[in-house]
Amino acid sequence: MNYAVETFDLNRSFKLKKAKNKKENNNTPGKLIALDNASIKIHQGELFGLLGPNGAGKTTLIKILSTLLLPSSGTALVDGVDVVKQPDQVRKRINMVSGGEHCGYGILNVRETLWMFSQFYGIPTQVAQARIDVLLKILKMEEFAKTKIGKLSTGLRQKLNFMRGFVCGPKIMFLDEPTLGLDVQIARDVRAYIRTWMKENPERTVLLTTHYMAEADELCDRVAIIDKGKVMVCDTPGNLKKTLAGEAVFRIEVPLAANGMETFGQISGVKQFAYEHKSHLGRTELKFILHDESAISNVTEFLSNNSSKIVSLSKMEPSLEDVFVALVGRGLKDENGSQN
Amino acid sequence: MFENTKDTIRTIRTAGKLGWAMESNWTDPFLFAIYSVVRPIASSLILVVMYYVITRGKTSLDLFAFIYVGNAFFMYVVNVLFGISWVIHDDREHYQMIRYIYIAPMKMYYYLFGRGIAKMVLTTLAVIITIAFGMLALKIPINLMTINYPLLIFSVLVGIFIITCLGILLAGISMVTAHHSYALTEGIAGLFYLACGAIYPIDILPVWLQYISKLLPLTYWLELVRRAILGKSISTTLGGYSDFQLILIMLGTTLVLAMFSNYIYRSIEHIARKHGKIDQLTNY
Amino acid sequence: MKTDLKTNFKAIIARAYVRIIAANREPSWWFSETLLPILSTAAYVYVYKALKAPPEYTGFVILGGTMSAYWIQVLWSMAAQFYWEKEMGNLDLYMIAPISRMSILLGMALGGIIQTTSRAAFIFLTGSLIFNVSFAVVSFPKLIAVFFLTLISLYGLGMLFSSLFMLYGREAWHGVTLLQEPVHLISGFFFPVRNLGFVVGVVASFIPLTLGLDAMRQLAFKAGAASGFINVNLELSVLAVLCVIFLVTSKYALELMEKLGKKEGRLTLRWQ
Repeated sequence: MNYAVETFDLNRSFKLKKAKNKKENNNTPGKLIALDNASIKIHQGELFGLLGPNGAGKTTLIKILSTLLLPSSGTALVDGVDVVKQPDQVRKRINMVSGGEHCGYGILNVRETLWMFSQFYGIPTQVAQARIDVLLKILKMEEFAKTKIGKLSTGLRQKLNFMRGFVCGPKIMFLDEPTLGLDVQIARDVRAYIRTWMKENPERTVLLTTHYMAEADELCDRVAIIDKGKVMVCDTPGNLKKTLAGEAVFRIEVPLAANGMETFGQISGVKQFAYEHKSHLGRTELKFILHDESAISNVTEFLSNNSSKIVSLSKMEPSLEDVFVALVGRGLKDENGSQN
Repeated sequence: MFENTKDTIRTIRTAGKLGWAMESNWTDPFLFAIYSVVRPIASSLILVVMYYVITRGKTSLDLFAFIYVGNAFFMYVVNVLFGISWVIHDDREHYQMIRYIYIAPMKMYYYLFGRGIAKMVLTTLAVIITIAFGMLALKIPINLMTINYPLLIFSVLVGIFIITCLGILLAGISMVTAHHSYALTEGIAGLFYLACGAIYPIDILPVWLQYISKLLPLTYWLELVRRAILGKSISTTLGGYSDFQLILIMLGTTLVLAMFSNYIYRSIEHIARKHGKIDQLTNY
Repeated sequence: MKTDLKTNFKAIIARAYVRIIAANREPSWWFSETLLPILSTAAYVYVYKALKAPPEYTGFVILGGTMSAYWIQVLWSMAAQFYWEKEMGNLDLYMIAPISRMSILLGMALGGIIQTTSRAAFIFLTGSLIFNVSFAVVSFPKLIAVFFLTLISLYGLGMLFSSLFMLYGREAWHGVTLLQEPVHLISGFFFPVRNLGFVVGVVASFIPLTLGLDAMRQLAFKAGAASGFINVNLELSVLAVLCVIFLVTSKYALELMEKLGKKEGRLTLRWQ
């Protein structure tokens, strides 16, 4: 079996400065563990998702795979090539796009910027220009081809950065939160292009990190859920959701509640519990994963005993986010429903 | 009114702290102290060597003292001008914070002034060190007992105000120019270096350039500073004016500069907003 | 191997292109980087006039001011450039590209030389005309050789600085600032370096402009030879050696700093 990416017990930690005074936390550990024995295998031609909240270790893994960072220990192979021992060979096979980031020089226009980066990959100018034309068309950027990038909007600049990654013709693409901060339409264009690009050549592989669960669900062949540097689980989205088949997922909205959230997890029959405050609606959304559907009566009884009025209650199909909640015992608070 | 004053002070104080952090916390205090001393001393030594190469020490010390003191105080122009005008570029392209600073309900003038305070403090130290070095190592004839301190302090304060006005003017220009705005600031400082008689009496300049010199408040500022420290002037062009007359001319030209600087800053700021250049990225 | 060379060559051209094209797109540099630098150079000319210096000193200053354009460019747009690239997010992209990092540095240097030469030429011609500088060139071939060797070694030094400063934030920035005036002093930008004494002259010779300027003054002015530091041929040889030293050490420094950066995770650390 040919793997596009393989990691074996990959570890990465960063030294932290110790707190200087007593007001700060004196128990600050000396290091931050970003990756903790992370092992994954990504097949050639696969669109693989790496899911996790902010700080889970997703970007650290991508930086190691793209030769920007050395692991503290462990091995990482990209297309069978060791990222530590043969970084030059790895670079010929990969590219990377980080969402929310910009590239290039404000003084160059869009076409020139894409051409410049293509040259760093040795692509003949004619080939590069043809690829640029295609990308501009697919991503609806034709009218901005001669616009200086300093004058582009944030979303368009991100789109440019996305094109920059693909114009260089990589075999394996690392997409680190590629739709971060993009509006719905641009994010849709980006996702559509990823699919098109994958279909064009079965050897192409994408490693996509995201904390938008719906995006991963829609795009990925397989996903790994990562939290605090550990790979918790790895399977197809369908199989992961099936792990909750015997369980029931309920969403309950109550008036905005500030305290006592931890007690909900102790209700009999509750496997996992997560919540999200929606201040603008004056509500708190509670998500319960129950061992059994019948346990919902325990939940409603608990709520009424605690004088919590139920605004709405609904049973839900399990999502990847529920898988995450079931695994780590908390929700992806950063997401705040901003999936696009 | 009181609230406004409090807000102004708060803005200046916060910007000042930020400026100081940026200036000083990149290294340990020892290295920082060396850094703060080496540049001004080196800059003065260039002129010292030029003087000795030509005169071999045989000419009177008056011209040397004139050059040395003028050059020492000119450091305010180079550093404070840069400290204020560079803020636009630094906040825009490096920290990419300009949009948040710009939309804050504070006066940009006060923010820019605040950011320049660190440079003012450091330059004052550098000037003191340079003058002390000149007195001790180069035997520059300065008598600490005969310095006209009130005139010196007054002149330095007005000088800082003049340079702040120039800094704000350049900050305005930086809003619409690219990466090379550091060269613009250095270049403008070069214009004053040439025209204000920082390192020679303006008498040596061509007549047409002397007219420009006489329009610039920094010319009078440098003359007053020299008179306060050295007790005399060797400039025939400015020598005819009394201290009081020079102060009046300096204040008059400063007032015109302040109005001009304000007008230019506002006009360019308007252009920058019109063309969406407030938070542009131009680096290359 | 051949493909790699071709790719690296393309990278050099592409990086140089940014600088060359940028110079044309921002016409304001004509004002800030050609007209204005003449003014501070002119100020030093007037110092000599005030001191009643011999006329050849005007030429010495104009030449110093001209070469100063390169020094400033090397400091701000070479040495500190990786710091800017890091802040803009480009350094990551250079680091994952299948090219030698030296290609990026060489591209920056090539673009920088082309960009600055037009400025330096303007300063030189305007300054020479305004102050009526008279030249007496002893040997054009040697003069041209000195000029190019000075530029190559100077930009080699810039590449070395760039590598060393790659991991740093404001330290790099301030380091660059610190080098400006002291080098103007010890390299003799505005006076013959011989006046600083032999020991200082030798130490300063590590900055290629020291010997480059001295040799150019000896070759271009009548009184130049009399105030020269060491023999022009020796200066030429030292400059050639410096070219090799700086280019080679910058390559190793770059590799070392990149490795260190990846190990410590500082390569992509921003807003320091």
